[in-house]
Amino acid sequence: MQAVRFHGRGGQGVKTASRILGAAAFLEGFRAQDSPIYGAERRGAPVSAFTRIAKEPIRERGLIAHPNLVVVADASLIQDPAARVLDGIDDCTVLFVNSPLNPDQLRAQTSLPGRLTTLDLTGIALQQFGKRGAISALLGAVAGRLVGLRQESIREAIARELGDLGLAASAIERNQKVALQCYDAVPVMTIEKGAGPALVAAHLHVPTYEPPTRGSARISASANSVLRETGGWRTFRPVLVPDKCNGCWLCFAFCPDGVISMTKDDKPVIDYDHCKGCQICVHECPTEALVAEREKEGGVAWRAK
Amino acid sequence: MPWQRETFKKIKQIPREEHVLPGTTLCAGCGGLEALRLAAKVLGDDVVYVNAAGCFTMLATYPFTPFKGSWLYTTMGSAPAGAQGVRDALDVLIAKGRLPKNENLKVVVLGGDGSTYDMALSSTSGAICRGLDFYYFCYDNEGYGNTGMQLSSATPYGARTTTSPCSLQHPTGTMQEKKDIFEIWRAHKPPYIATVSPRYPLDLEEKFARAATFAGPKLFLALSACPTGWLYDPSETPEVAKLAVETGLWPLKVAINGGVTHTYIPKRKPVEEYLKLQGRFRHLFEPTKQEAAIHHIQERVDAYWEQATAEKS
Amino acid sequence: MAGEMMTGNLAAAWGARLADVDYIPAFPITPQTEIVEALAKWCESGAMAARFVTMDSEHSMMTAAGAAEVTGARVFTATSSQGLLYAFEVLYSVSGWRAPLVLVNVSRALAAPITLEPDHNDVLAARDSGFLQIHAETCQEVLDSILMAYRIAEDERVMLPAIVNLDGFYLSFTREPVIMPDPERVKLFLPPFHPAHLGFTASAPHALGVAVLGGVPYTYFRHQMHLAAMNALEVHREAAAAFERLFGRRYDVIEGYRLDDAEDVLVMTNAFASKGKAAVDAARAQGRRVGLLRLRVIRPWPADAIRQALQGRRAVAILDQNLAPGQGGILFQEIAACLYHEALRPRALCSFIGGLGGKNLSEGEFRAIFEQTAQAGVQGKGIGPVLLYTEAEHREMVQLQVLAGALKS
Repeated sequence: MQAVRFHGRGGQGVKTASRILGAAAFLEGFRAQDSPIYGAERRGAPVSAFTRIAKEPIRERGLIAHPNLVVVADASLIQDPAARVLDGIDDCTVLFVNSPLNPDQLRAQTSLPGRLTTLDLTGIALQQFGKRGAISALLGAVAGRLVGLRQESIREAIARELGDLGLAASAIERNQKVALQCYDAVPVMTIEKGAGPALVAAHLHVPTYEPPTRGSARISASANSVLRETGGWRTFRPVLVPDKCNGCWLCFAFCPDGVISMTKDDKPVIDYDHCKGCQICVHECPTEALVAEREKEGGVAWRAK
Repeated sequence: MPWQRETFKKIKQIPREEHVLPGTTLCAGCGGLEALRLAAKVLGDDVVYVNAAGCFTMLATYPFTPFKGSWLYTTMGSAPAGAQGVRDALDVLIAKGRLPKNENLKVVVLGGDGSTYDMALSSTSGAICRGLDFYYFCYDNEGYGNTGMQLSSATPYGARTTTSPCSLQHPTGTMQEKKDIFEIWRAHKPPYIATVSPRYPLDLEEKFARAATFAGPKLFLALSACPTGWLYDPSETPEVAKLAVETGLWPLKVAINGGVTHTYIPKRKPVEEYLKLQGRFRHLFEPTKQEAAIHHIQERVDAYWEQATAEKS
Repeated sequence: MAGEMMTGNLAAAWGARLADVDYIPAFPITPQTEIVEALAKWCESGAMAARFVTMDSEHSMMTAAGAAEVTGARVFTATSSQGLLYAFEVLYSVSGWRAPLVLVNVSRALAAPITLEPDHNDVLAARDSGFLQIHAETCQEVLDSILMAYRIAEDERVMLPAIVNLDGFYLSFTREPVIMPDPERVKLFLPPFHPAHLGFTASAPHALGVAVLGGVPYTYFRHQMHLAAMNALEVHREAAAAFERLFGRRYDVIEGYRLDDAEDVLVMTNAFASKGKAAVDAARAQGRRVGLLRLRVIRPWPADAIRQALQGRRAVAILDQNLAPGQGGILFQEIAACLYHEALRPRALCSFIGGLGGKNLSEGEFRAIFEQTAQAGVQGKGIGPVLLYTEAEHREMVQLQVLAGALKS
C-alpha cells in the first residue's frame, strides 16, 4: 500500500489534491481511499489530508501515521509544530516540498529527514495563473507522478474533482495544463517500502482526578493566543516603504488581527509572527507605502520560533 | 436629528491598545474579526463574552484565548440566555456583597447570523423583552460560515450558498430575501440598536461608545465581509464592506429608543459594483448576465432609501 | 406525627429555599410548575434572597442556570419531561463547565403520545449527561436530597451538577408530612459556595467551556468528569453521615427493605417503591422470603453497593418504569452489567417493565412479579422483559380503540 500524506494551509487545496490522487488511482484500477482532517481549519491554518492506494483491500482509516510519501504544500509548515509534518517519517519516506530551493539548500535550512524532492509550485502558479490561490491540481499531479500514476489518469482526475467544485471548463483546462507541466518537472524519487516501526503495546496511562481549575476546558491565562504564531499562513508579506508612508493609520485601523501597531511618529510596525498575509493593509494603503513581497525560504522568510 | 460623532472624530482617536490579541485561527481577512477588534477597543477588557456556536467559537480554542477578559461558550441557540445568567449572577453577588463593585463586568453576546437570525431568535427576544442589560454583537456574514457557507435567513437574494446553489430552476441561487433582523429587534423596543461596518471605524467606535450610556439591551449588527464564504480575495474585505455601504445595501444606522437615524447617507453606487466583486454573485454576471435579478436587488435598495428619506422629511 | 403536610413540589421548593440559593431561572411545565410558583412568591416577598427570572424556554432556562452558576451564584431550577429534553444539549454543557447547580426533575412520561403522568424515560435519558442523579421516594426525601445534592455537587472533588428526581403526581401533587430541617443546621451542613474554578471577575478573567480540537484533551476532560462522578460516591457517604448527625435521617446510595434473609429481591426506584415495599410485606405474610432494593443514587452508579446487596440471592427482579424500545428496561441492563463479575451472582435476573405513563401497579401485578421471579430462580433462568399490563386493562384498551375507530380498518 502507498500511504500519502498531504500538508498545506487552508485554501491551498490539499483536500482536493488528496482526492485527485485518490481518483487517479481509482481510475487506474487500484483500491483507493482519500480523506481530509476536518477541524477548525481556516484559510491559512495548517490542514492535512490522506490518500491510500493499494491492490489489496485497505483496512485503515483516518490519519496516516507512517507515510511513504509526504507532500508539503507550504514549506513554512515544516517548522510549525502544530502541523506535524515530520510525524512518523523515516529514512525511506519521500518528502516533496513546494519550494524554490533545491533539496540540498532546503535541507541545509530545515535539517529535514527522509528523501527530499522539491519544485516551486507557488512560483509556477503565480506565473501561470497570475494570483495566489489553490494549487490542488499541481499537488495532485506531483503526488501522482511520485507514486507512479499515469498522466492520463491525473488529467481525468483533475477534471472530475475540479468539476465537482464547480470550476469552469476553461479553468479546469488551465489547471490540467499546468499540473501536467509539474508532473513532468518534478524530480522523481522512487518510493521504497520501509520496515515501519516495531509494534509494541501502548503504555496506557490512567489519569487521576484534578480539581476543575485544571481538569476542565478552562483557560485562566490572559490573551495567550499570541503564543500561537500565524506568520506561516502568509504567501505574501506586507513590507513598509517608509518614505512613502504618510502616517494615516488606515493599515492599523483595518487589520483584522491587530498585528499592526503605530509608532509615536505614526509609522506602522508589523508583527510578522502573527500577520496572516491577508494584504488588507497593502490594498488599503493610500500611498502604496505597503507592498507585498512573496515569502520565500531563506532571505526574508519568516520562521516559527 | 442628524447624527454627529461626538467622541470619535479623527482616525487617530482609535485606541492603540488591542483587546482581541492576534494568534487566533480565524480566516485571514475576516471581516467579523475586524469589527470585533474595533468594538473591543471601546468595550475594553472588563467583559464576559458569551459566545454562540459559529465562526467565533474558534477565537478561544484550548489552550489559547485572545482575550484579556472572560469568555463563556454556550450553545448556538441560547447565548442571550447565558448572558442573562451571567448578568443576573453578577448583580446578585454584588447586591449581596460577595463581589466588590469594581469586579463588575459588561456582558457581551457574540453570535453569527445563523444564531442571531435563526436559532437564537427566541432566546434573544426573551432577553430583550426582559430588558437585560447586555451587548449583543452579531457578526453577519450572511450564511452559516463555520460549516462552509450554507443558506441562513441572513443570506441575501441572489447569493449562491452551498445549500442554495444556482440551477436551472433557481438561476439566482438564493430566492428568499434577507430577514430584517434590525426591525425585528426594533419591534421589541430596546434602547439601542446599531448597524456597523468595519470599513467605517469611526462610525463603529462612536456607536459602541454611545451605547455605553444606555442601560438595557444594546444590539449591534456588524457587516462581516467573508472572503472564504463570499469568494473574493482576503485583501478586499474593506473594499467589499465599503461597497456594501456605498451602494446602500448595508445602511449604517442607529435606533435609539426606537427612533431610527441613518448615520451615513451614501450616494448609492449601482449595486452591481458590490455584487461583481464577489464569487457568490458571479452567476448573476456569467455565463449570461441576469439583468432581472440585478435589477430586483437594485430596486429593493432604492425602495429602502426612498422610504428612509421620506420618513426623514 | 411531626412535620407538616406538603406536596413533593412544595418540599422541592423548600429544599431550594433552605439551601439559600442565589438565582432561580424558571419555566413552567406540568407537573413541575408549583415548584417555581412557590419560589417566585418567596423571592417576591423577600422570604428568599434570590433572583427569580421566568425564561423563554427550558433551553434558555438551563443556559441561564449554568451561566449564573459559573459566575459564582448558587442556582436552583426545575423542569420535567419535554422540558428536560428541550434543555438536553445544555445539560451536557453545564456539566462540562463543572457547574454544580441542582435541577429538580419531576418525572413525566415523554411524548408522543403526549401525556402527563410519570415514568422515568425523561430523567434516565439524562443518565449520560454528567449530572449526578438522586431519585426520591417520599416528599421528605425530596427536600433532604436537594440539600445533600448541593453539598455533594459543590464538593471540590466532584463539581458536577445534580438532578433530584421525583415522580409527577405520585409525589409532586401528593401531600404527606415533611419535617422541616432547622435552617441554622442547614447552614452547618451546607457551607457557602466559593468554587475555585468559577466566578467571572474583572481581576481574574478566564475562558470557560472553550473548544478543544483533537481527541486528546477531549478524552482527558471527559474522563475527569467520570472521575468526578465516581468521587461522588465517597462524598455522598460523608454527606449522608453528616446529614444523619444533624437531622437524624439517613440516606444511602441504595436502600434495602427486608433484605436480610430475602432469597428473591425486587429492585425499584422512586415513589412506586413505596408500593413495592407494601408488596414485599404482603408476600412475606404469605411466607415468601422477598425483599426490595431501592436505587436512590443512579449517577454515579453505585455498583459495589448493588453487588453487595444482590450477591447470593436466588433471583432478582428489576422493575423498570421506562422502556428503551428495541432493548427493554434501562436499569435492568445496568444491574446485569454490574453483577456479571460477581461470583455469587443471582441464579436468575428478571426484567419487568411497568408503570409506564403513570399506569398503576396493582397488588396483583406485584404478586405476579414475585411468583414469576421465584420460578425463574428455581429454574435458574432469567425472564423478560415482561410487560406489567393486565388482561382487564387490555379489555379497557380495546374499548378505547373501538371508540377511536381503530378497529374499522
